[in-house]
Amino acid sequence: MSTPRDDRARLEREERWRQLMRAAQDGDNAAYAALLSEILPVLRRFVAYRWPSAPDVEDIVQEVLLSVHTVRHTYDPARPFMPWLMTIAMRRTIDAARRRTARSANETTVDIMPETFSGDDAKNEQEISDDQEAIRRALAQLPDGQRQAVELMKVKGLSLLEASAVTGKSVASLKVSVHRGLKTMREVLKRETQ
Amino acid sequence: MNSEELIRRLAASAKPVRRLPHPIWRAMMWFMLSLAYAAGLVFVIGLRADFSVRIAEPRFLVELSAAILTSMMAASAAFCSTCPGRPLWERLAPFPFLLVWLASLGEGCWRDWTLHGFQGLAIQQEFSCFWKIVATSAAPLVLILVMVRRGAPIAPYLTTGLATLAAASLVAAGMLLFHQQESSVMVLVWQFGSVLVLSGLAALFGRHVLYWRTVDMRSLDNQTTPHC
Repeated sequence: MSTPRDDRARLEREERWRQLMRAAQDGDNAAYAALLSEILPVLRRFVAYRWPSAPDVEDIVQEVLLSVHTVRHTYDPARPFMPWLMTIAMRRTIDAARRRTARSANETTVDIMPETFSGDDAKNEQEISDDQEAIRRALAQLPDGQRQAVELMKVKGLSLLEASAVTGKSVASLKVSVHRGLKTMREVLKRETQ
Repeated sequence: MNSEELIRRLAASAKPVRRLPHPIWRAMMWFMLSLAYAAGLVFVIGLRADFSVRIAEPRFLVELSAAILTSMMAASAAFCSTCPGRPLWERLAPFPFLLVWLASLGEGCWRDWTLHGFQGLAIQQEFSCFWKIVATSAAPLVLILVMVRRGAPIAPYLTTGLATLAAASLVAAGMLLFHQQESSVMVLVWQFGSVLVLSGLAALFGRHVLYWRTVDMRSLDNQTTPHC
């Protein structure tokens, strides 16, 4: 149950954030930094509360921060700040949960990871080296954009968001590049083995 | 990158942004432009032959007003739905007018039934009506979609559906002025029905039309960032 003192503190915080956001919209970077820093723990609590089993709370919080950044021009200083922020946080948390569900639908959980034994000599060192060389050659044949996308996401293991941050390309564009790149590589490798 | 570092980079590169005008103001702007387009269509095609008779009928006036008000309210609701934190009831604003429109058509169907029996409710195939609405609503639809994309995609399906409802119902109102239909049931099926079908279909593509923009992290380093 909230006390009058809690209510007053909440109102003061709301007014402060509203002023900070107004200043941030007008280009005050210090106010913007202060605002984002102050809302960070609130967002962490919100995401953890809304999705207690979330495996990547910090990733979702960062998505919310980025979303707040991209749509900060939609905030009307005449209206309260918290409902504006919480609507974005809620939307992005739901989006993350939906993505997670879609991804886990294509994954299988296993208790023990299947192992391969190098001792079985399924492939000798020469064959492994040949495979790597073939992949390197196939990769080299890709256009620059596709090669960079495949290297970042399939070789270095970056996520779509991370790769997007590195290349500056959109997530959708990266997905297309990786898909086309892998398809081309598959065809090149198939041709080589025939 | 940790969240504190992200905040530092976002804050360091943030530029002043132009606040979105009030959603009602944006809706009015769209409505005036689209109304001019619809008036142009009516001017080019010409008024229906029985316009002078129909305009004197209260039911026709109610039907026309309801279609125009549905368009206005749907546009307002679409713009409101791209502003986070606004009350949810705003998104329902067009539906009372949509019901009035439906009721006026229903009353027309009832009158045709009492006058002509089953013959008054006969439905002929007139797919051209659907395609006419699709073709003529394309311009106001593109305009409103471009405008709503400046907002936040918090309800992409609903926003796209409402935006299409706004454009299609305005064009349907225009069609009442230049396209002669034999009976109310034909208007109900081929005009009102087309508006609903189009809005529903468009809503399905909401996520492709309205989505969260990614931030170019390189631009954050270079101290420039897109904001919309």
